[in-house]
Amino acid sequence: MTVINIPSWLKKMRYTPTFCIIILGIFVYAAIFPKTISPYSPDIRFSPYGEPDENHILGTDDMGYDILTLLIYATRISLIIGVFAGILSLCIGTSIGIASGFHQGWVDDLMMGVTDIILIIPKIPVTILIAAYLHPSIWILIIVLGLFSWETTARVVRAKTMQIRNSGFVLSSRCLGFSSFSIIIHDIIPVIYPVLLPKFMLTIASAMISEASLSFLGLSDPMMESWGKMIADAFDHGGFIREMWWWFLPPAICMCVTVLAITRIGMIYESNEPEMVFE
Amino acid sequence: MVKIHPAGIFLSRKLLRYLLSFFCILLIVFLLPRMMPGDPVSNLVGEDIYLSQSTIDSLRAAFGLDTPLHEQFIRYCLQIMHGDLGYSYHMHGPVFEILISRAWWTLLYTIPSIIIGAWIGISLGARAGFQSGKWWSDVIASIALVISSTPPYLLSLLALVLFVYHLGLFPFKGFYDTYNLQSILYHLTLPTLVLISFYASRNILIMRGAVLTEKELLYPQFARSLGIPEREILFHHIRKNAIIPLIVLIALDFGFLFSGALFIEIVFSLSGMGSLMYDAILARDYPILTGSLLIIAIFVIIANITADIMSLIIDPRIRRSS
Repeated sequence: MTVINIPSWLKKMRYTPTFCIIILGIFVYAAIFPKTISPYSPDIRFSPYGEPDENHILGTDDMGYDILTLLIYATRISLIIGVFAGILSLCIGTSIGIASGFHQGWVDDLMMGVTDIILIIPKIPVTILIAAYLHPSIWILIIVLGLFSWETTARVVRAKTMQIRNSGFVLSSRCLGFSSFSIIIHDIIPVIYPVLLPKFMLTIASAMISEASLSFLGLSDPMMESWGKMIADAFDHGGFIREMWWWFLPPAICMCVTVLAITRIGMIYESNEPEMVFE
Repeated sequence: MVKIHPAGIFLSRKLLRYLLSFFCILLIVFLLPRMMPGDPVSNLVGEDIYLSQSTIDSLRAAFGLDTPLHEQFIRYCLQIMHGDLGYSYHMHGPVFEILISRAWWTLLYTIPSIIIGAWIGISLGARAGFQSGKWWSDVIASIALVISSTPPYLLSLLALVLFVYHLGLFPFKGFYDTYNLQSILYHLTLPTLVLISFYASRNILIMRGAVLTEKELLYPQFARSLGIPEREILFHHIRKNAIIPLIVLIALDFGFLFSGALFIEIVFSLSGMGSLMYDAILARDYPILTGSLLIIAIFVIIANITADIMSLIIDPRIRRSS
């Protein structure tokens, strides 16, 4: 298992998680209520290739749309893809992990075999191929990204479940006659929650990055404007060669900041306290 | 009864999994064009190609599209075993030959990048992890964290804007102006540097994390109490253990080198295998796309096997316990 430790100055600052939650909160607000903060409506067109001035803080793009408005409206698509792909992969990974860790035996062998097989399949090329055939809409994109990212979650959840399935409180619930389902819901999920959160957050971050990469290849929904699509448009329509940094840098910065904030929030439980062991 | 070496059991179990995953990929590649809406012939040869009715009929017979699915699949597998990945109507040539001719260019700069990136990652990451309290260790880790959380194409685009468009230090595109070593090296410098920084930053993060966990264990403290100098503890004791997860990842990098180079090649207009795939995506040239996917899959599986053998050699614990 690979461990990525965050730099110690990030850890030392006690308020970084709070800070990251505030940043993420701003983006979530922009995603839900873009109307309240965007300066214009997303379908008004101005003169194209405009430089930043007092009317358009970030200028206008090749079609004459206001870039700040696009940026705010794109937040929604980027976050939706990340969050829903994350939820899908979390659901699959958790159920497979708990099922194989809790029941063991042939169920475990079969499910971990499948997990290992899927783990080896090269994700990006397969996703590209599927996207090329499907001309995807946003939901197909979410399903494909979610279906190809649950394996590590399943493995971690399985290891954790095996660790606690013989612990005292699980055994006592079993003695009291609770069903497996109720034990899983009430005893196991609350305990494995601290491993689920970082996996969930990392999946969201990587789904957002994958979406941006697919947009860059022209493989996302052409009707939806995400941060990745904005950068791809800037590349295709001369934003880079004209050095219009106000066009491609804001979505890039938004993307990196969101990914970093999400990753940091996922590490909230990674403190210096020794890990609790349930005997 | 013949006693099989535990390492042999370990390897054969792994091999079985790899064979099964390759089978899955074959199945995906086989089923996608046949299950998609639309005419399977155009799904197989690519869109936007004008074919006469007689050609379509002969292709339908050649693919065996009227026979049951399992017969088609066996026919397909036999074709691939003979190295026949199909014919690209966009590029007017057999897919396998087109792929091979492009792949050399990609290998030319990806292999050095992976090796240099691994070297930088291991040496810097080990030092940064060992002296994690120092300010420079944090600076390195932060830079590495930012680079590795940037989408790969974005990093290349920023480098393109800064070094090519703004400063004019490097050429715009292509592998060479005139076909000689100097020109090729000049053209490849920037893409290679970007790729190196990408591989190095990920390796730094992982190596640093591994060293951080290892150095809290008892054996480095014991070595310290024996009076062994810090440098030696790091390079002779800790590094040996901390490097194991990274070796596997670096071996896998070699498997993913074609898809890793995809975005770099698009941004810097290098006509290697990545930009071949990009053109195939734009033109919906499906034979090229499926062909490159199969080549990537084979590379990934070979890399996985190499990683397993290497970890068997490096780590005696796997050799004994498996």
